[in-house]
Amino acid sequence: MVRVVPIGLVLLVLALSWGCSGVRASSRPAAATPSPTRHVLANGIPVIIQEHRGSDVVALQLWVRAGARDETSAELGLAHYLEHMLFRGTTSHPGGFMERDVEGVGGRMNAGTSWDYTYYYVTLPARRVVPGLEMLADVAVNATLDAEVLEKEKDVVLEEMRLSDDNPRRRLARQLYTQLFDGHPYGRQIIGTPELVRALTRDTLTSFYLRHYVPETFAVVVVGAVDPREVLATAASTFGRLPRRGVTRLPAAPPPPFRPQHQDIAHPGGHAHLGLAWPATRLDHADTPALDLLASILGRSRSSRLVQSLRERDGLVVSVSASLTALEGAGGLMVVAQLPPGNLERAEAQILAEIRRVRDAGVTDAELRRAITAAEAEHEFETETAEGRAVALGRAETVWTLEDELAYVNRIRSVTATQVRAVARRYLDPERYARLALVPPKAAQ
Amino acid sequence: MRRSPLIVVICGILCAAFGNTGAAPAPAVVREVLPNGLVVLVREDPSVGVVAASLLTRSGSAFETADTAGVTNFLQKMMLRGTKHHSALALAEAAEGLGGTLEASGDVDYAELRGTALAQHWETLLVLLAEVAIEPTLPTDEIERERTLILGQLQMRADQPFPRAFDAVVADLYGDHPYAWPALGRRESVLRLHRDALLERYTAAYRADRMVLAIAGNVPRQRVVAAAEKLFKRLPRASATAVQPATEAAPRGDRRVLERDARQAQVLVGFLAPPVTHADYAPMRVLAAVVGGGTSSRMFVELRDRRGLAYSTGVMTSNRTGPSIFLPYIGTAPANADAAVAAVLAEVDRLRQDRIEARELARAKAWLLGNLAMDRRTSARHAWYLAFYELIGTGWDWPERFARAVDAVTVADLTRVADRYLTQPTVVVLRPAEPAR
Repeated sequence: MVRVVPIGLVLLVLALSWGCSGVRASSRPAAATPSPTRHVLANGIPVIIQEHRGSDVVALQLWVRAGARDETSAELGLAHYLEHMLFRGTTSHPGGFMERDVEGVGGRMNAGTSWDYTYYYVTLPARRVVPGLEMLADVAVNATLDAEVLEKEKDVVLEEMRLSDDNPRRRLARQLYTQLFDGHPYGRQIIGTPELVRALTRDTLTSFYLRHYVPETFAVVVVGAVDPREVLATAASTFGRLPRRGVTRLPAAPPPPFRPQHQDIAHPGGHAHLGLAWPATRLDHADTPALDLLASILGRSRSSRLVQSLRERDGLVVSVSASLTALEGAGGLMVVAQLPPGNLERAEAQILAEIRRVRDAGVTDAELRRAITAAEAEHEFETETAEGRAVALGRAETVWTLEDELAYVNRIRSVTATQVRAVARRYLDPERYARLALVPPKAAQ
Repeated sequence: MRRSPLIVVICGILCAAFGNTGAAPAPAVVREVLPNGLVVLVREDPSVGVVAASLLTRSGSAFETADTAGVTNFLQKMMLRGTKHHSALALAEAAEGLGGTLEASGDVDYAELRGTALAQHWETLLVLLAEVAIEPTLPTDEIERERTLILGQLQMRADQPFPRAFDAVVADLYGDHPYAWPALGRRESVLRLHRDALLERYTAAYRADRMVLAIAGNVPRQRVVAAAEKLFKRLPRASATAVQPATEAAPRGDRRVLERDARQAQVLVGFLAPPVTHADYAPMRVLAAVVGGGTSSRMFVELRDRRGLAYSTGVMTSNRTGPSIFLPYIGTAPANADAAVAAVLAEVDRLRQDRIEARELARAKAWLLGNLAMDRRTSARHAWYLAFYELIGTGWDWPERFARAVDAVTVADLTRVADRYLTQPTVVVLRPAEPAR
């Protein structure tokens, strides 16, 4: 839903960062924050609780193992649409009530949809943890999906599409995914299409809701200044009473063979946006940590190779960065840059030259050390707040496992320069990649 | 004779919306004034694994003219491009080696050098920050490189519908006042700025009595104060008198349409609001929350939930030492742009004509205080809050006093400030020449 911040969680996965929990590199460790504990309710719903007394806030999150990849081709946009509708009223709470209740105590609520999952979050003063959990359990299965509200919300979602189309970075990323995962659900637009959204009916949405919002797909995460026993008891008396439905989710399909496409699209403005992408590993693949570090060395910091070469040395771009997206079923390594349209060809050649250089000569020990330190630090910064910790835990429980998440920084630490060079050679073929440029309309002609 | 530092330890009070019932006690804040006048604030928080530092100077576009617009930001960026001991790349590598970053930027009422690191590296972070602040070399070849980047950033800003419309309405609201241009400056001025102008700005701004250093995170506060004193004692004290241009903000109070190819129209309706130090500032912020703060605000419920006009809508506000803004906005389909302008103006009129209900007031206060509490939870945000409010003269504990002022706001206050400030709308509509692309 992302009702306040106008950034659809459509792109949540782009920012996928490698959080982990419980592992600290610091020789001046933070005062003991209790480790997260994982409980399983009688109906199978996992509940993860962590006491975090940094501030008097509790982050409550419902993670649902249902996202855009669970839609059939006639259902595009349903997971996201449902996310818009869930807080708009339940059988016991009319629309608007929940927003007023949460904001009336200074809290926040929002939600996001990815291909692999959807999640709903409420951040509240810690003393409100019990009503907060009750509310989440209520929307999880009792949303009314009112027909009149549903019709009106179509205009809101169409505005969200327009907003996203006008944002060149978002448009570039979306289209690049479409190229990279052509023919796979990951290549579809999470938000759907205007035609499908206009044609959406309450029956279709209700059917998706009943099929996917069941104990088998739920995970609950609570992080904050709370009493874990009280949280667990409340979870058991709310979420724990929902009947199982015997639903089994299909695993994410592997992507079809990659077919490189190169494309220019006109986009208003004076500058161009360039994106190159390579197929990479799925989340649980053994090469993922090395690829993560490779992306870091290529373009995640001021000292990284692409920034130094394209921005600082040659002055070709205003900005350039590299990122790794690792989903349940597939992944991609992407390089994006903003630049004057006249520099497009040289910038692309220079990015490929840097790719060849890392394939041929590998990375230095100093670069590897900085990238590992950055990964360790990223975790520390991400988990400063209760909701930062909750997101890392919820994502792990939903698309991975808590154990994998906890072990991730250790896996990162054990990566060698030889392994980084090996994954560069294995995955970054300078002859086979997706390329997309958003160019000013005149340059596109 | 070396003066022993006078250390004042004051405990922060958590904001009213979040009573400190279950959390660990709020970390104490240490305030010390060094012999050269630099104020140092340290917030020690053992619950985190990181440190953040914010070094603010009283500078920024408020001290610029149309000809020097952007000089503060330009200078700040240049300070990371070389010191007596490190090249630009070596500085970046050094910061990244600490698990952090060094960044610099100019803003409207201040300029900032900021850094982060894993907590155990706090001392090295401070050494780097001091070096950048005291020994920048502003190398000539790097100036042209930075100029190209800033011009590129200005172009990127102009390319995006909302920032472009925002810059236009701010320009129309402030007229000849220096708040009229973005901190990046103007293309015309950035093209002409030379090293002499950067040096002049540096000499005027980097004086200890115009600066505040704040450090937050898992750090030993007494040792941090001692280290800061040693590292920053070379900052000169005496300040060349920095004069703020004595220009009045003069809103155009009219309506302007910008034509630009876009799928969505942007509607912004601006008013000038009182400075952050003014008694009317708190009621104006509450008023903004009533009409456009959160998903149960009037604009969100009416314009988005009921009428489906928007995905994003609300009221933006600013915290300026001079005139601030009160800026309702909405992004909508081009065909709805006129209806959206009318709807936003109608909401503003309602604020002036209809009595605001007590429950709306209560919700708005809770939302606003919740925002303040939520925004002050990372080390970087703590460092910024401490430094900013100390720098502008309200004192680092301003958020606590602001919270009390918000708590005291009445319905009558809202009506009074609505009547006083929401009288002359300045409207900018960005829309495509044709109904849709």
